[in-house]
Amino acid sequence: MAAGGTGGNSGKTYSFKVVLLGEGCVGKTSLVLRYCENKFNDKHITTLQASFLTKKLNITGKRVNLAIWDTAGQERFHALGPIYYRDSNGAILVYDVTDEDSFQKVKNWVKELRKMLGNEICLCIVGNKIDLDKDRHVSVEEAESYAESVGAKHYHTSAKLNKGIEELFLDLCKRMMEMAQAEERLKGNGASQSASSRRGVQIVDDEPQATPAGGCCSSG
Amino acid sequence: MSQRTERRGIHVDQSDLLCKKGCGYYGNAAWQGLCSKCWREEYQRVRQKQIQDDWALAEKLQREEEAAYASSHGVQTQSHSQSAAPHSGQATLGTFSKFEEKKTNEKTRKVTTVKKFFSPSSRTPPKKENQEGKTTSPSVSRHASFETDQVSRDFVDFLKNLQKPGREIHKQCRAFIINMSSKKDLGADELSECVQDFYQSMSDRLMSHFKGSSESVEQVMDQVEKYIMTRLYKSVFCPETTDDERKDLVTQNRIRALHWVTIQMLCVSMDEEIPEVCENVVKAITDIIEMDSKRVPRDKLGCITRCSKNIFSAIRITKKEPASADDFLPALIYIVLKANPPRLQSNIQYITRFCNPSRLMTGEDGYYFTNLCCAAAFIEKLDAQSLNLSPEEFERYMSGHASPRFSSSESNWLHPGSKPGVTATNPVLAQLSDNLELLSSLSSRQESLMEAAKNLQADLLSWPESVQQEVHDILEKYPLEILSCKVSAIDANNMDNDNLPPPLTPQVFTG
Repeated sequence: MAAGGTGGNSGKTYSFKVVLLGEGCVGKTSLVLRYCENKFNDKHITTLQASFLTKKLNITGKRVNLAIWDTAGQERFHALGPIYYRDSNGAILVYDVTDEDSFQKVKNWVKELRKMLGNEICLCIVGNKIDLDKDRHVSVEEAESYAESVGAKHYHTSAKLNKGIEELFLDLCKRMMEMAQAEERLKGNGASQSASSRRGVQIVDDEPQATPAGGCCSSG
Repeated sequence: MSQRTERRGIHVDQSDLLCKKGCGYYGNAAWQGLCSKCWREEYQRVRQKQIQDDWALAEKLQREEEAAYASSHGVQTQSHSQSAAPHSGQATLGTFSKFEEKKTNEKTRKVTTVKKFFSPSSRTPPKKENQEGKTTSPSVSRHASFETDQVSRDFVDFLKNLQKPGREIHKQCRAFIINMSSKKDLGADELSECVQDFYQSMSDRLMSHFKGSSESVEQVMDQVEKYIMTRLYKSVFCPETTDDERKDLVTQNRIRALHWVTIQMLCVSMDEEIPEVCENVVKAITDIIEMDSKRVPRDKLGCITRCSKNIFSAIRITKKEPASADDFLPALIYIVLKANPPRLQSNIQYITRFCNPSRLMTGEDGYYFTNLCCAAAFIEKLDAQSLNLSPEEFERYMSGHASPRFSSSESNWLHPGSKPGVTATNPVLAQLSDNLELLSSLSSRQESLMEAAKNLQADLLSWPESVQQEVHDILEKYPLEILSCKVSAIDANNMDNDNLPPPLTPQVFTG
C-alpha cells in the first residue's frame, strides 16, 4: 500500500460516490462517523455535519477518493431516493439487526436500485448494531442468503464497538474499482473517459500521455 | 488477490491500442484513440473550420460596421444630396435605399458604441482583428455590462500567468462564445450539451498540458466556467425555449400556499428560540435568496453551500451533535419554504445544465445541490401524509379556512392578551407580541412624558404670574413709604463727613 502512495507510478485516481440508504435510526450516521472520524456518540466530534463525508484511500497503490452521501431515512422522503442515488458507484443499505422492519426496507431499496440502475452499482447490505445480538430479530442465515440472491455482499457491523466497518468500506472500494476497470476495458480507453466522467466517475490519467505503451509495461 | 486486480487493471487488448481510423498505427488516448497522423488531420480540419468561422464573422462585422459608419455619414449629408453616399463605400449602396431609412437611423445610434471598439482599426483588414487575441470580440461585448467586462479582465489577467497556453485557452473560449451566440435558438438541452462538450474537451486538453495535476486543471476550469457563463448567462438562463419560467411561478405559488407549514410538522430539529439558531436560520434564508443574483453556476453552488453550512450550525447548536441527513433535509425544506427563493426552478435547471460536471457529481457542493433538488421535489409533491396530517386538515389549511398555528389555542387568537398559548405554538408570534408589548409600554411612557411636559409648561406659564402676584401682595402689605430725602449719589450717606479731604482732581502735566 505504501509503495504507490506518491503519485507517479500509481496511475489513476478513482472518485467514487457511495450512498447510504436505510430507515431512520438504524445507525447510518454512526457508521460513517465511526469510519471517517473513528468516534461513536462522542461529544468531541468536530465535524459540523455527518451527512456528507469524504475519505481518501490508497488501495493496492491506487488512490481512491470516496464521497459518502447520507440520505434522509424517514419514510416520507422515500420518493426522493432516485435524486440521491443517481450516478452512484456503490450503495450501502443499512438495517438494524434488532428491527425486522428495517430489513424489509432494505429489501425494498434493493428492488428499486436493481430496477433503476441494474448491475451498474455495487450493493452492500449491512446489519448494524450486532452488539445487541441478544435482541436480534433478523437471522444471519436469512440475511446472508437474501444478499447472495440479489448479488449483494452482506456485512455485520457495530458502530459502537467499531466492528466490521473498515472491512465493509475496503471491500466495497475494491469492488467498485473492479467494476470501473471492467467498464474501462469494455468501452475502450478514450471513449470511457468521456462517458464515465459524465456520470461522475473521474478517471484521471496521471501518466504523461506521450508514452502510454511504456507505462503499461513497466508498471506491469 | 491484490496482485490479481492490479494485473487486470493493466491488461489491454492489442486492438484497443490501434488507431481508431484503422490505419494500422498505434493510437493514443490523448488523441481520442487516433494515431498522431490521423489526429493531426482531424484536429487540423476542426481548427481550420474554426478559423474560417472566425474570419467569416469578423468580415461580417467589418461589413456591418462599415455600413453603419457610412450611413451615419450619409444621414448627415442627406440634406445636401443623396449622391454623397457612394463616397462612403460600396457596401452602403445596397442598404441605403429609402425604405430602409428607418433601419439605418437605428444603426447610427448603435454605431457610436461599435465605433468605440473599432475606432483605432476600423479600416484594417479583418485578419488583423483576429490576431489581436487580447481584445474581446465586439459582437459579444457590444452590449456587455460592466460586470462582464470586469470578468473578462480578470480572466485575461489570470491567463497571463499561464503565458502561451493561456492565450490558447482564451482564443478557444472566445471562439466558443461566438459560436454559441449563433446558436441562440437551440433548445436548452442542446445548449447544455454544447457547453458540457466544451468543458470536457477543455479539461482533457488541460489535463494533458498540466501532466495530470488535477488541482491546476480545476483552477483553470473554474476560471473558464466563470468567464464563459458570465457571458452566456443572459441567453441561456431561463431561455424562452423552455418552460422554466412557468415552473418558477408554479413553485413560487406553491410555496406561498404552504405558508402555514410549521417547523413541528416537518420535524425539524432546530430550536428557533435559541438566539444563535435564529441567527443561523436568518443567514441561511439570506444565502438561498442570494443564489439568484449570481451568474456563474459555481457561485450559485457556493450560496447553496453557505446556506447548508448555516443550517448545520443551527442543528449542531440545537442537538449538540453533528447533523445527519435525517436532520438536514427537513431543515433545508423548512428554509426553502421560509425563503421562497426567486426563480428556484430556473436556477436548479441552470446549474444542472451548465455547471462543470465534476463539481456537481461528487463534490460537497454537489451533495448540497442534490439536497436542494430533493427539497424542491418534496415541496412540489408535498401532501397531507408527508406532514403527518389528515387529508381534511391539509385541505383546510391549503384553502386558508384554518391556520394550524391557532387551531390548538383558538381562544388565544381572540384574546391576544393571554400569552402562554401563543408562545407554545409559534416563537415568531411570541416575539411579535413581545415587541408589541414593548411598543405599548413605550407609548404609555411617552404619554406620561408628554403629560409631565404639559404640566411643566403650565407651571412655567403660571410661575411668573404667581411671582407677580406675590410681589404685588407683598407690595400691598408693605406699601412703599417714600422718605423725604431723595438720595441719588452713591456716597449720599457720607454727606455730613465734611472733614474728609476733597476728592482728588486730575492734574495736567506738561513736558
